[in-house]
Amino acid sequence: MNQPEWAAGVCAGLHAAGSRHVVYVPDNPLSHVLRILNERYADVRTTVATREEEAFGIAAGLYLGGAKPTVMLQSSGLGNSLNALTSLLVPYRIPALIVISMRGDAGEWNEAQVPMGRAVRAICDAIGIPHATAETPAATEEAVRLVAQTAFGTRTAGVCLLPRKVTVPSPARVVA
Amino acid sequence: MTRLDATRRLVGALAPLGDVPIVASLGHPAYDLYAAGDRPANFYTWGSMGLASSVGLGLAMARPDLRVFVLDGDGSLLMNLGSLATIGWVRPANLVVVVWDNEEYGTTGGQQTATAHGSDLEAAARALGTAATATVRSLDALAAAVARAGAEPGPWVIVAKVAESVPAVKPPLDCVFIKQRFMAAIGEAEPGTNGGSQ
Repeated sequence: MNQPEWAAGVCAGLHAAGSRHVVYVPDNPLSHVLRILNERYADVRTTVATREEEAFGIAAGLYLGGAKPTVMLQSSGLGNSLNALTSLLVPYRIPALIVISMRGDAGEWNEAQVPMGRAVRAICDAIGIPHATAETPAATEEAVRLVAQTAFGTRTAGVCLLPRKVTVPSPARVVA
Repeated sequence: MTRLDATRRLVGALAPLGDVPIVASLGHPAYDLYAAGDRPANFYTWGSMGLASSVGLGLAMARPDLRVFVLDGDGSLLMNLGSLATIGWVRPANLVVVVWDNEEYGTTGGQQTATAHGSDLEAAARALGTAATATVRSLDALAAAVARAGAEPGPWVIVAKVAESVPAVKPPLDCVFIKQRFMAAIGEAEPGTNGGSQ
């Protein structure tokens, strides 16, 4: 199987930042990240949650136990996460690296994904969670690593956004 | 048995084990844990209804050397039943979830929950992959179940049928204080926090 550059970068970035636990609700692009983690990072444990807010609860417990947790989700799941973020991670200053695979941004085809996709950054700003965007496939390693460093260094959960232009190859770019 | 009496009995039964971590669901379960005896290894949640068992799961995964106790409520667990599926998949041997089942939303005024109408949370735990379960209806049965759960591999889900009791006291309100004191008590003091000292 191929290893998209952006996905390999996400794995390298979270690993370099010392995260050894990834709790996630899957989406299609993130399947590349999870496959690489499971194939190439034997020291990283991946755990599936049934719902995004549950993932943040597990991540909070991991942090209390001395780990540096990563939570991966699709942007649609940010809505499911808000109570966990605003009444657990933020007030207790429990950090996590949050990697969000974007829906509803440029390249989206599903109208139902657009409202939350459009709101993601404003929501993060409103609840006091900093966010950065990996703008190119080559930028994901550094973006993820730096967001994680700041999150765990300042004990503030931080978001790294992965736009669709990065995670979903454009057919126009495929060489026949 | 009231939830406060049950909480006191549980805390007493755990005393010989030392600083075992106890994660309490928001509202009355947390208030009663405080009333039963404040201790640094108590993690009082002040929000995120439903997530106490998830916090306990994460802690149990990060610290397999510790026996992790969760004090949940029936209304809270019903809000996050998926947690039982995840626990039944991960199966951390060191996790003990105690559900104070008073068949009502006690903290919000006593509205009935589904357990007053047939929902069986022990059966749900078994159906979702946890084999070590019990339902207890007396203080002695609770103490016996907790002793087993403290010694035998889990995960455990213990449903304790309790009567509501209105708490008279509340735990500390400072969330960062609760966290730092808790982490220091289990040997994970955050750097630069004076060892999590009070």
